[in-house]
Amino acid sequence: MGPLITKPQTPSSSSPFDDRVSAARFIEALPAAAIIVDEGGDVVAANARAEDILGCAAAAAIGRPVDGAFKLFLDRAIRAAGVEQTNFVQPFGVGWYMIYCFPLQSGAVSETWRVIAAFDITAMKHAEFEIRESEARLEEATRIAQLGTYKIFWQTASVQWSPHMYVIHGVSLDGFRHGVDNYRNFVHPEDRETFERIFSDQLDGKALRAAEYRIIRGDGSVRWLRLDARVLFDADGEPYASFGTCQDVTEGKQREQELKQLLRRNAILYEALDASPIGVAVVTTDRARPEFFYANAEFERLTGYNTSSLSDNGIDSLRAHPGGADGWDGVLRTFATSVSGAFELACTRKDGAIFLAQVEVAPVRDYPGREATVFVLNLRDITLDRQRAGQILQSQKMEALGQLSGGVAHEINNLLQPILALSDLGQDFADTDPAKVRKYFEVIASSARKARDVVRQVLTFARRDTPQLAAHNIAGLVAEALNLLQSGLPPGIVLQQDLHAGEAIALVNPTQVSQVVLNLVANAADAMNGKGTVAVKLAEVDLDATRASALTVAPGRWIELSVADGGCGMDSYTLSRIFEPFYTTKVAGKGTGLGLSVVYSIVAGWGGALKVESEVDQGTKAMIYNPFAPSQHATSSSD
Amino acid sequence: MAHILLVEDSPEVSLSVREILTAAGHSVEDAASGKEALVRLKGSRFDAIVSDIWMPEMDGIALLKEIRGAGNNIPVVVISGGAPNAPLTYTAPLAATFGANVVVYKPFERAELLKAINTALSP
Repeated sequence: MGPLITKPQTPSSSSPFDDRVSAARFIEALPAAAIIVDEGGDVVAANARAEDILGCAAAAAIGRPVDGAFKLFLDRAIRAAGVEQTNFVQPFGVGWYMIYCFPLQSGAVSETWRVIAAFDITAMKHAEFEIRESEARLEEATRIAQLGTYKIFWQTASVQWSPHMYVIHGVSLDGFRHGVDNYRNFVHPEDRETFERIFSDQLDGKALRAAEYRIIRGDGSVRWLRLDARVLFDADGEPYASFGTCQDVTEGKQREQELKQLLRRNAILYEALDASPIGVAVVTTDRARPEFFYANAEFERLTGYNTSSLSDNGIDSLRAHPGGADGWDGVLRTFATSVSGAFELACTRKDGAIFLAQVEVAPVRDYPGREATVFVLNLRDITLDRQRAGQILQSQKMEALGQLSGGVAHEINNLLQPILALSDLGQDFADTDPAKVRKYFEVIASSARKARDVVRQVLTFARRDTPQLAAHNIAGLVAEALNLLQSGLPPGIVLQQDLHAGEAIALVNPTQVSQVVLNLVANAADAMNGKGTVAVKLAEVDLDATRASALTVAPGRWIELSVADGGCGMDSYTLSRIFEPFYTTKVAGKGTGLGLSVVYSIVAGWGGALKVESEVDQGTKAMIYNPFAPSQHATSSSD
Repeated sequence: MAHILLVEDSPEVSLSVREILTAAGHSVEDAASGKEALVRLKGSRFDAIVSDIWMPEMDGIALLKEIRGAGNNIPVVVISGGAPNAPLTYTAPLAATFGANVVVYKPFERAELLKAINTALSP
């Protein structure tokens, strides 16, 4: 749609448009709104298409100075620096026009006329906008999707990138010279082979799907890229280029990697739990009743249930009577109070068999101090352990019995000796020396009494006689026992009392309490060679799990009776033997070696525990832990 | 008649043994432990020793070791009630091993002890 080109001509007498009529005819033929103006700026001719822009009929405009839009067009053309012929795009009204302005010289007159032609290019402009807009939209979409696009032209192996490609590769728009050799510098050394295959596949006209390789950016960061590409065809249906999208999938890859590691960790943990020789289960308590979340192989073997069948009935699966009162109640209480606990209880297998189980429960806390809704449960079958412990206990009993008989024999033999010898000799002197005989009788009687005491001690130790236990105020009994024994202590011994158990009531036998106190205080006094302070203390104490398990009692509140001296103390060997019956470091006649054994068996009879700590030359401390009576009512404070 | 060293920690046993020996015409010196016996042995000359086994400070076995170790062949009669933590039968071979001439078990009759003394004293 080029304009009519008129060659610059020298003025001549004749011109193709030597009159206004032929000029008007010329512009009427133009597919544009056009007018002709003379040198003075008056309209010489105007075509019908110009009427819209002129705003009046063409004939009405002729002979008048040009004005309106055409005046605007003419002024702009004249401003175009003396260029005789010019064209430009000019918006006007709702449309766009391509304005051509060129001279039309008339040969007849020496004046120069100008043609001003405005071609309507509005439709073309709109199409151009649409293309630009769709390009912008694509760019925006690829930017949002972190997607770069590229083209590889086969003939030249040249490459075209979308702006986001530069972002992905960490280079500025002018910071990278295209070319496959330059590009290879980006590719991660381990992925070079992969990249070469991807590149040559595209040159071979193959489509790509999720082809992945790594690049190393200028800043050293490693990124994972993913390419998808297809072939482009030209108008003749011939393939000419590869068009591809490129995505930075590093984050996804990292997540994938982390997920893989997490899965691997999980798998290892599961394997390890399944290899554990202890039954391990995880119980959740965020629903109405505790549910089994997981049970390892040993737990399943011990109970006969698998995790899913355990889930059906929860803890009730393992009880002889669902909902019944048994040791499992304690386990359920730990769930309710978010504490840990250890239990020995009867566990029912799926086949109905019952075994003695050790169950340990520990809360799994997300945050410290927050109530736990997940618990780990360890389960062991201790039936066999118990039997073995029973056997060991039995053999220990036999050993103790041997020691007991040896010890009793030694004591009794030594006491029978004077009885036997002096009763024989006494007969010789019955008539001649009554004073001697009287002396013999005294020794015989005292030896017989000592023998009787030995037998009594042995019986207490053997617990042949079971004394009646009743609820008593323990502080009162201890105070009374101390009162009684005070007078019998050597004058150098100071008795320091610190009885702080208040109204604590224990199930004890008053005679046994005085026996215990007497034995411990006598031992303390002996250890100090009759000179020093014996501290007797009674208090209520809380035993935590560690201390309680060392004493083989349950954690909680106990009544502690301690007797401490600053005496000679004991070495660890002696300390290890103090509970053996007849073990003594005292000279014959001063101790039977039964004292601590008796204390031990008495305290065991109360359901309590006895512990002795000692250090050579530092002193000895004996501690008795006694449980509270179930009800806090004393039958009497003492009797 | 013999001069005898009696080593015994129990006063009652010591009394009854001394009475048997003195009634039989022997003279007796007392010691309550092996240590005390060694002191007495240095001070006097004895014909025989009658010793308990289980005693504090130095027991009868240790005393025997000391005596025999010093080359003293004095006749020794061991009187034993058995050790508190050992079977009764353990005492005799133990005492014999360390050089006791005769072992008598408590409680013994007067005649048993006197016979043992005679056995120990006869060459």
